[in-house]
Parts: sequence; structure tokens; C-alpha cells
Amino acid sequence: MKTRIKEFRARYDLTQEDLAKMVGARRETILFLEKGKYNPSLKLAHNIAKALKTTIDELFIFED
Amino acid sequence: MKDKLGIFAGIGIAVSVLVTLAFFVKSAGNIELSDIASTGIVITLVAFAAFVLWDRLKNINKGLPATDERLVQVSYKAGYYGFIAAMWSAVGSNPLAGIIWNIELEGHHVAAVVVLVSAFVFVASYLYLARKGDSK
Repeated sequence: MKTRIKEFRARYDLTQEDLAKMVGARRETILFLEKGKYNPSLKLAHNIAKALKTTIDELFIFED
Repeated sequence: MKDKLGIFAGIGIAVSVLVTLAFFVKSAGNIELSDIASTGIVITLVAFAAFVLWDRLKNINKGLPATDERLVQVSYKAGYYGFIAAMWSAVGSNPLAGIIWNIELEGHHVAAVVVLVSAFVFVASYLYLARKGDSK
């Protein structure tokens, strides 16, 4: 699964640490999300989308 | 607060283990290879615990959570691998000892092997999955 977290993060000039604090996760989790090495729970995905002022569909690209 | 209490408790336990080890080494007369191996194993496990505690404390000091959903999944997965290793070492330690050293292990030796193998597999899995792994 790919994500556009880095792109949205850059839009608001947020570091991985800033975003991690906003959503209650560790910085490494944000890093793994951006690399596509971790699938978040619905709750975390929702929190990240809310923090980046977007929707889950915009943020996460599901590949079949 | 709960995270910090857990960390301080972990530090207390790690320090207690090291102090006990120090007394053991100091009071031992001639240190044999088995003593060095035992000490090395204990130090390795305590070093791992210290690393985990340091990592959590580092995150707390930055205002981040000590652990999150990904790390919980990593712990579960590492525990699963440690369990599998425990099962295999319980079954295979005696035959392997017979083949390699031509000896038969007693019950307490097998128990020690199972505990050590599962602990090391857990430690290795946790470190790998936390730092580089794919915990999907």
C-alpha cells in the first residue's frame, strides 16, 4: 500500500515527529507508513487524515 | 505517567540483575567457561532490556508515546516467533545434542535451552521488526 503522507506533510511543513505527536504515534511508525512498510489501523489512518486535513482515500492508495 | 513508571521499574529490575551478577562473579573462585557463557547471556539480555528502556525514554522525553500500535504488533510477532523457537528447541535440543556432542541432556538442561533459545529469538525478532522489518 502506498501513501501520500510525505506529500501532505510537506504541504503543511510538518516533520515526521510533528505528525507523530499529533496522532499519538512514534516517529518510526510515520516513517514506516511513508515507506509503505506498515498498514495502519483504521483509527490511526483516520487520525492521520484528520491531522493532514484530508481523507483516508486521498492519503492511502490501495493496490490490488 | 504509566509509561514512566514502567520504565523505572524496568531500570530497577535490570540494575538488580546486574548487581546480582556482579556479586556472583566476585564470589566465584575460578571462573569457568560455563560461567563466562552464563554471564554473557545475562548481559546480552539485560543489554536488550536497557536498549528497549532507553528507546522508550527517548520517545517520552520528546513528547511522543513510549509505544504505539505498530510496536505492540512487533511485540506480538516477536513473541510468536519466540514461541515457535521454544517448541522447536524443546523437541530438537536433545536429538541435536546427541548428534553433535553425543550426550543426552537432562530435563533442566532442556528447559534452560528452551528458555534461552526463545529469549534470543524474541530479542532478535523484536530488534529486526522494530528497526527494519515489515510488521504488516
